[in-house]
Amino acid sequence: MKLGPWIGAAVAMFGLAAQAQDNLKRGADIAANGAGDNVPACSGCHAQNGIAGGSGAFPRLAGQSAWYMARQFADYASGARNSALMGPIAKALSAADGAAVAAYYASAKGPFVFNNRADATLIERGRQLARVGDQAKQLAACNNCHGPGGIGGFPAIPFLAGQYADYIALQLQMWKSGSRKDGADSMADIAKRLSDQDMAAVAAYYQQLREAPTQAAK
Amino acid sequence: MAERLKAVDVVTVGVGLTGAILGKELAATGLKVVGLERGPMRDTVPDFQSPAIHDELRYAVRKALTQDNVKEAMTFRNSTGQTALPMRRWQGFMPGNGLGGAAVHWNGLTWRFQPADFVYRTHLEGRYGKGFVDSDLTIQDWGVTYAELEPHYDRFEYLCGTSGKAGNIKGVVQAGGNPFEGPRSREYPTRPMKEPYYGALFRKGAESLGYHPFPSPASTLSEPYTNPEGLSLHQCVFCGFCERFACEHFAKASPQTVILPVALKNPDYELRTGCQVLRVNLDSTGKKSTGVTYVDAAGREYEQPAELVLITAYSLNNVRMLLNSRIGKPYDPVTGEGVVGRNYAFQTMSYASVFYDQDVVINPFMASGASGTVIDDFAGDNFDHKGLGFIGGAYISATMTGGRPIEFHPTPPGTPSWGLGWKQAVARHYNHTVVLTCHGSSHPMRGNCLDLDPTYKDAWGQPLLRVTFDFPQNDVRMSRYVTDKAVGIGRAMGGKIVAGAPRERPYDSTIYQTTHNTGGAIMGNDPTTSAVNRYLQSWDVPNVFVVGASAYPHNASYNPTGTVGALTYWALDAIKNRYLKAPGALVPR
Ligand SMILES: Cc1cc2nc3c(=O)[nH]c(=O)nc-3n(C[C@H](O)[C@H](O)[C@H](O)COP(=O)(O)OP(=O)(O)OC[C@H]3O[C@@H](n4cnc5c(N)ncnc54)[C@H](O)[C@@H]3O)c2cc1C
Ligand code: HEC
Ligand code: HEC
Repeated sequence: MKLGPWIGAAVAMFGLAAQAQDNLKRGADIAANGAGDNVPACSGCHAQNGIAGGSGAFPRLAGQSAWYMARQFADYASGARNSALMGPIAKALSAADGAAVAAYYASAKGPFVFNNRADATLIERGRQLARVGDQAKQLAACNNCHGPGGIGGFPAIPFLAGQYADYIALQLQMWKSGSRKDGADSMADIAKRLSDQDMAAVAAYYQQLREAPTQAAK
Repeated sequence: MAERLKAVDVVTVGVGLTGAILGKELAATGLKVVGLERGPMRDTVPDFQSPAIHDELRYAVRKALTQDNVKEAMTFRNSTGQTALPMRRWQGFMPGNGLGGAAVHWNGLTWRFQPADFVYRTHLEGRYGKGFVDSDLTIQDWGVTYAELEPHYDRFEYLCGTSGKAGNIKGVVQAGGNPFEGPRSREYPTRPMKEPYYGALFRKGAESLGYHPFPSPASTLSEPYTNPEGLSLHQCVFCGFCERFACEHFAKASPQTVILPVALKNPDYELRTGCQVLRVNLDSTGKKSTGVTYVDAAGREYEQPAELVLITAYSLNNVRMLLNSRIGKPYDPVTGEGVVGRNYAFQTMSYASVFYDQDVVINPFMASGASGTVIDDFAGDNFDHKGLGFIGGAYISATMTGGRPIEFHPTPPGTPSWGLGWKQAVARHYNHTVVLTCHGSSHPMRGNCLDLDPTYKDAWGQPLLRVTFDFPQNDVRMSRYVTDKAVGIGRAMGGKIVAGAPRERPYDSTIYQTTHNTGGAIMGNDPTTSAVNRYLQSWDVPNVFVVGASAYPHNASYNPTGTVGALTYWALDAIKNRYLKAPGALVPR
């Protein structure tokens, strides 16, 4: 008798776990094969393990916040975040599929690699902006929101550590020009205070924060 | 022997909110201004950084941003018959220390007082007749009117970028704002902050009872804003670390974010931190100040001659500075004569906790110090006091300031105060409780006052300030009445248990309420009952102005800093446009 509620809870938990497993499977499937005619395989650009090549043309998704990624689909679909590539894909992606593929990439674990290393002075300037900020520009340290070491303030705030420099810099330009908006509108005001040089610096800094040890040895 | 420095035009004693504004403005007129600040230099970058600045133990419990009470404490007693003892830890209130003063670690609630507050005695006697006010309350008119201050309130709010919704623009009541407020010349500079869930629950409950909820006026900004000084603020992220903490996001108005950078760029403005002003010096007549004496961080003593001395050291310190400098006649609570130390008042805070079932999730940590929803129906003289037996009132609000883990532990009555039962209750209620605040007026009474302690001295051998305070019976009656109303709202909000805790005597200096200490160097039109005239100029030494909440003849139902800001600009206007043209008393004695 007394075991009744426990068994019920265990079944429910097992049910939830099983559901989550199904969801991840569905997500992996979308990543590999797409969903229907209008949703292409994500892996074509972001890679199946979510590390997206290393060129920086496509963002790294592996380990990113699922909540944040699902939110990006809504912003791409509404046009608040302007992208010729992701806009149509996000529009065609159902909410359930979006949640599934976001959960899949959030759980993916690919290595940190990148192609282009910046020079040390640029990285140092980036480190300052990321960790300390710039009083003259009334600019807070990025890590105040993006977390210590840029690991993200999940669920709403994405990681930057290990993200590709070209992609980071491009996003900052998009905010500055108004072609990326977000619900909280936290970033536009910040991006407007950054010069092109600042953007390149902070992007270069974050990119190299989580490189694999073998890479660092080179 | 103190080294005598090169004379300057203006000295500010303290560089907190009032000192920063006055210093910046007077330097902009071409005067040589020196700002003397006892505490350290500090700025958003690099000093206020997450996660270190969110150290609750260091900042909230151990009060790292507060006046160093090892060097400079205050003594306290409830009544003149007792012996005051030094406060060894700041608990009842927390005067600031360091560049920016308490306006670095404030909450940002930015209110105006009611038009009636400035003509308080006249207003109350007109409405209720003579004899209505308890005879022990020494309330009086301020010598300035709301209409005179309005442009200065406006200027201060636009400096801060305050977020809110006007309730009355030029006499026309605005939907969604505070219908009771005095007329404003225009809308708030930024939109109201987003309403947190606790605010929404409060709004519904208050509306169902016919009250008039509106968004709390907040200098923690709802959106990016560039102020008339050309400085810009970012949007608040609701991190829950305002009160007792500095903001790392450039989202809370503080001297550092809204004015100091402009002063510091002006070569006519010189900031000296780590400089403890000991006294304001007087010439042999005692009617003219010659400057100040201070000690720097290395312990060297200096005399800084100045034509004009502005005491901007926070209300309590302002009064102590006057007393230690022998400016103005000290107040005597026995005879009721004298002015410096008179009409010390505080704030009469009380709370109602609304406990919900576990399906109502409050997330109290998603907050700013000023986000939330308020009603003004029971503040000041917004309601008819006939037959109630008291004057004054309180605003009632759901403005939870962040639900931080060490200090936010709501538990219903009957919970054990420690042990397993307490822990279980905290875990059960932490995320399912809304705490309503009744932010009540505080009236001066004859025995409440500030003077110099006869026994205890600071690190420089100067007497400490002695605070003598208890709640007047009037304020205790007010607190019971308004707390009852808050409990009624809590019930209408659907709380399963609603626990009201009205404020009772005696005042206890080990329980934090607010850092809203007022009076002691009050303004007025009569030099026998006020220390400064209507322009905050000393009656006795006309080249000394005393700026801050020390000028309040009583404390209204609101947080004081909106009015501190307005009075600062009001005094500035008098200094710039009248005093500097013809130095001397602006009001004949
Ligand atoms: C935790 C907290 C929360 C608050 N929240 C609110 C709120 O939400 N709304 C509101 O309206 N108000 C609030 N306040 C009050 C607000 O901070 C003050 O009203 C405001 O800062 C007063 O400005 P001031 O210039 O008079 O004093 P301050 O800003 O404190 O500046 C005084 C400066 O003078 C310096 N000083 C003092 N003595 C000397 C000396 N002898 N020599 C040299 N320097 C000296 C001090 O170090 C300090 O820097 C809060 C205060 C605290 C502590
Ligand atoms: C044709 C290449 C391409 C394909 C296919 C593609 N993406 Fe993208 N994706 C991009 C590009 C380019 C960006 C960056 C666009 C921008 O600047 O906003 C992007 C951005 C994103 C982002 C935002 C990342 C961030 O950090 O904000 C997410 C999430 C994302 N894609 C998920 C997906 C998913 C899921 C799929 C498959 C359903 C997919 N993408 C398919 C090219 C592609
Ligand atoms: C006030 C908080 C805050 C601060 C400070 C902040 N960010 Fe952000 N940032 C955010 C939020 C929130 C998002 C997610 C926006 C969205 O949902 O589209 C974001 C997103 C980003 C992204 C997009 C990442 C992606 O995967 O697409 C980049 C790049 C970025 N921030 C860079 C920076 C840099 C560089 C700084 C410092 C100069 C900075 N941020 C400071 C809050 C902040």
